[in-house]
Amino acid sequence: MPLARHELIRAYQRMKTIREFEERLHVEIANGQIAGFTHLYAGQEAVAVGVCENLSVEDRIVSTHRGHGHCIAKGCDVVGMMKEIFGRRDGLCHGKGGSMHIADTTIGMLGANGIVGAGAPIALGAALAAKMDDKGHVAVTFTGDGACNQGTTFEAMNMAVVLKAPLLFAFENNHYSEHTGDHYSVGAKDMASRAEGFGMLARKVDGCDFLASYDIVNDVLKHCRAGNGPAAIEFNTERFFGHFEGDPQRYRGPDEIGRLRSTRDCLKIFRDKVTKSGLLDGATLDQIDADVLALIERAVEEAQKAPPPTAADVLTNVYATY
Amino acid sequence: MAVMNMREAIASTIHAEMERDSNVLILGEDIVGGMGTAGGPEAIGGIWGLTGGLYAKFGPNRVIDTPISESCIIGAAAGAALSGKRAIAELMFADFVGVCLDQLYNQIAKFRYMFGGAKCPVTVRLTYGAGLNAAAQHSQAVYAMLTSIPGLKVVMPTTPADAKGLLTSAIRGDDPVMFFEHKTLYGDKGEVPDGDYLLPFGHARMVREGHDASIVTCGQMVGFAARAADNLAKEGIACDVIDLRTTSPMDEETILDSVEMSGRLIVVDESPPRCSLASDIAGLVANKGFAALRAPIEMVTPPHTPVPFARELEKAYLPSAAGIEAAVRKALAYR
Amino acid sequence: MSKLRAFTMPKWGIEMVEGTISEWNVKVGEPVVKGQVIAQIETDKIVNEVEIEYDTRFVRLIAEPGQAYAVGELLAVTSSDTVEDEEIDTFVRAFVPAGGASAAPAGPSGTPPPAAAPAAPAVAPAPAAAGRDSPAIPAGSLISPAARELALRLSVNVSVIQGHGRSGRITLQDVDQAAKPIRSVHGGGPVAIEPTGAALDAFYASPYAKRLAVTHSVDLATLTGTGPRGRISRQDVVTAAGISAVPARGSAYEILRMSPTRKAIARQLTLSKSTIPHFYLRVSANVDALLALRAELKRAVGSAPSVNDYFIRAVALALVAAPDVNVQVHGDQIHRFRDADISVAVAADKGLIAPVIRAAQTKSVQGISAELRAVIERARAGKLRADEIVGGSFTVSNLGMFGVDQFDAIINPPQGAILAIGAARLCPVERGGGLSVAQVANFSLSCDHRAIDGAVGAAFLKELTALIETPQRL
Repeated sequence: MPLARHELIRAYQRMKTIREFEERLHVEIANGQIAGFTHLYAGQEAVAVGVCENLSVEDRIVSTHRGHGHCIAKGCDVVGMMKEIFGRRDGLCHGKGGSMHIADTTIGMLGANGIVGAGAPIALGAALAAKMDDKGHVAVTFTGDGACNQGTTFEAMNMAVVLKAPLLFAFENNHYSEHTGDHYSVGAKDMASRAEGFGMLARKVDGCDFLASYDIVNDVLKHCRAGNGPAAIEFNTERFFGHFEGDPQRYRGPDEIGRLRSTRDCLKIFRDKVTKSGLLDGATLDQIDADVLALIERAVEEAQKAPPPTAADVLTNVYATY
Repeated sequence: MAVMNMREAIASTIHAEMERDSNVLILGEDIVGGMGTAGGPEAIGGIWGLTGGLYAKFGPNRVIDTPISESCIIGAAAGAALSGKRAIAELMFADFVGVCLDQLYNQIAKFRYMFGGAKCPVTVRLTYGAGLNAAAQHSQAVYAMLTSIPGLKVVMPTTPADAKGLLTSAIRGDDPVMFFEHKTLYGDKGEVPDGDYLLPFGHARMVREGHDASIVTCGQMVGFAARAADNLAKEGIACDVIDLRTTSPMDEETILDSVEMSGRLIVVDESPPRCSLASDIAGLVANKGFAALRAPIEMVTPPHTPVPFARELEKAYLPSAAGIEAAVRKALAYR
Repeated sequence: MSKLRAFTMPKWGIEMVEGTISEWNVKVGEPVVKGQVIAQIETDKIVNEVEIEYDTRFVRLIAEPGQAYAVGELLAVTSSDTVEDEEIDTFVRAFVPAGGASAAPAGPSGTPPPAAAPAAPAVAPAPAAAGRDSPAIPAGSLISPAARELALRLSVNVSVIQGHGRSGRITLQDVDQAAKPIRSVHGGGPVAIEPTGAALDAFYASPYAKRLAVTHSVDLATLTGTGPRGRISRQDVVTAAGISAVPARGSAYEILRMSPTRKAIARQLTLSKSTIPHFYLRVSANVDALLALRAELKRAVGSAPSVNDYFIRAVALALVAAPDVNVQVHGDQIHRFRDADISVAVAADKGLIAPVIRAAQTKSVQGISAELRAVIERARAGKLRADEIVGGSFTVSNLGMFGVDQFDAIINPPQGAILAIGAARLCPVERGGGLSVAQVANFSLSCDHRAIDGAVGAAFLKELTALIETPQRL
């Protein structure tokens, strides 16, 4: 289904925001500005945005440890996110979660998660809640080529089929599960067919092509929203950075990242496609680029100035009442 | 007031809460029973018989019979709770927390904290404890381990009235609650208040009163302690028997009030002795009630072993009323 | 390798725990044949000859005659071949008596005591002091250092203590408890233990708050809770009702805390009464002559020592004449004193104190009187030095000035006896087959039967009475 102009602009803006957010974090982390572990999503933008542009605020997503992209795509406040990653008191999670647990449940982003594979059961729950509401809402679990081998993912696939839950398994195959290649760790070599084996509708798509990804998600979600049960899409995508920031990436081939950034950059591919087909012009895209950079710059500035949490904040929000 | 057993108290509470709030859902294995069989749904209504009739009343979207997938039962409860629902999840045997511990320990317990205030109202009901020869993997007193996890609340009723009051509070509260039901107490009868009945957590119940010694315990051990106290009372030895009802939060004030009067503490705990409820309470009193103590704290617990199978072995494993009595006497004999 | 064998303390009968070699009948290096008597061993029941059961030679004798050794302990080493000293040393070091603890300390080569033997349970026994442990602590007992020290200090026999530490190790707490008299868990009639606060369950109040509210008729509806989560706490009820937090249990009483002195007296006398087998010998003495002598002195000089001073002098002389009463008991030792170091019981504010008149037999009645007066004043003022109250060998306690006719006193351990003196009263006495009156004082001698037999005590009292009734001897 063709996207309207404003939808294309929004999609590009979202993808570009993710890209620049991650690129900037890479720099800030190298400067020692950020505490803890961070896992950058740059390169996979088309998947997050391709999925989330098909969702409303009442549809819910569960993310992975590599969650900034899903968070931005779902519509979370970028400045709030930056503050959270910088550990500030008025960050999205008040400095209590950080990069790996970044969330905003009020808009259906049920959290990045530090436990690989933990997301699928939780997303299943969100799907069951949607089923109770009976309004055609869905839930999405983003699962990598690492998490797809976790028992919890298999359990969730089976149970989603058994319960006909409106759950989309978005398998993001970026070909690396930490330091191990998917050709080694995914025994069946094919996540989509494994999902199909569990009894659900399964598709594959080039995850670096936003337009193709958007279309296939749109199609598949019709199936889910209509009460036909879960579905799976395997997205073939790439990550440009390491598993975590600080990863020496010795598992890469010679000049692999250079090659990926030139041939498998979803932003470039999108720009090519929309300009060649006249859907959008380069100047519009350039303006979006500039605006996004300004946003990220502002986000970092505000994050650096924002006050840190106090010792008393350790004790808050353990329970509603105790 | 109606007289019913704990099973009935729990079942009726679930019915009442699901009726009262359409956001409440319940998931578990065989909670309906018979799904996908010739016999059809409601073949069992839960293996402990507590969830019969819910499916017919509330339908498959709210009464969810699951395949055997504990991680998904608990994880789905978590996801539904994060999505605005109130989830009741059933673990057929408390020992199965081993299978799904991540969803409890790293997920549910920590969502509110990590996400800066997100609500996750989940009540996990677990059937626990030794006494029916179910052996090592189906008899454990798992509450001790879970009490130590910040973010979870841990509750174990000993009477039908307490079961109703505590379960109602658990379901209506916004915090994750681990609701422990002892296998051997399901059949115990008692008076249960009608209508809305909520009991706060961290509010212990006095089972017996006396100033000579303080016996602090929970769950199945409460009955044993009461028997021991009754026996001692025949000889003029009067003990407090305190039923904690909840171990997280725990009624520290009542424990200390009691020890300040008696000076002698006997903690009885069904969980294994290391890093247990008994050692937790002993530590609390040694720290905050030291001046009141007139004898070393006695801890009556099983040995550091798994739960054995044979009848004689399980009997030897579990603390007994006689063992509790002996501990009281030992504390009184200290000079 | 030569065949070294251990010769250990045999077990004769199920009750035997230790024996003493009274005599070796072999020499080192000497060959012995099967059936030969090689030693005399004494237990608390018998003395027996020990025969060797095989042909061998005694290559090292370890046990010393006169010392006690536990059953199974290594007494000597035998061998059929010649052996080097080093081999014997190794054998001795590695020896494990049946029962698991390591070997006895140093053989003649002077090697230091070994650490845990290989076959023994996981915990190493406490390091043995150089030389033998006291009989109260068998070598190789599993016991903590602090517990060992306490046991030696209090002469506690640890072989009968159940250790509650790991692997049955005896802890300081175990020794502490063993040194104290058994506390019986009080019996009594049945008591009611039903919870009293149940009627107030509708209120959000702690169990103790409810109890107090019931007992003191406090209306919980009028209270605001300051306990956790806004619960009404015990303190809220206490404050509201203006009552003591400690609930009244029956009759009203004032609680008086025991002073350290009081506690010490309590401890000491409880120990005495429950561990010392007391028996009592009672005599009366005619004090007419004594009183007359004293009255005469008073007329002559203006003042005289008190009657009690004369008694103390008499006691001193009687103790020297009957020294088996002038003893202290320490475990299985009796310390018999040459001097009459008499503790005189004095009532002071804080309780009973007993300053000691040392070598009272060397002091005149006047001397005793003066010393006692000075020391009593210091005692009453709380100014006694520690050395003035320790070490007495015998106590005299006189309650005559309070009108007490007769009483039996409790022995002050480690002393072996105490004399209780009552008031002198005019009593009917037999004189020359007829009835007369005289001033008579009653004496009761409490004796520790472990050290003092009836006849011994009686002899002392006989001498004492004789001295009192012939006061010119004083």
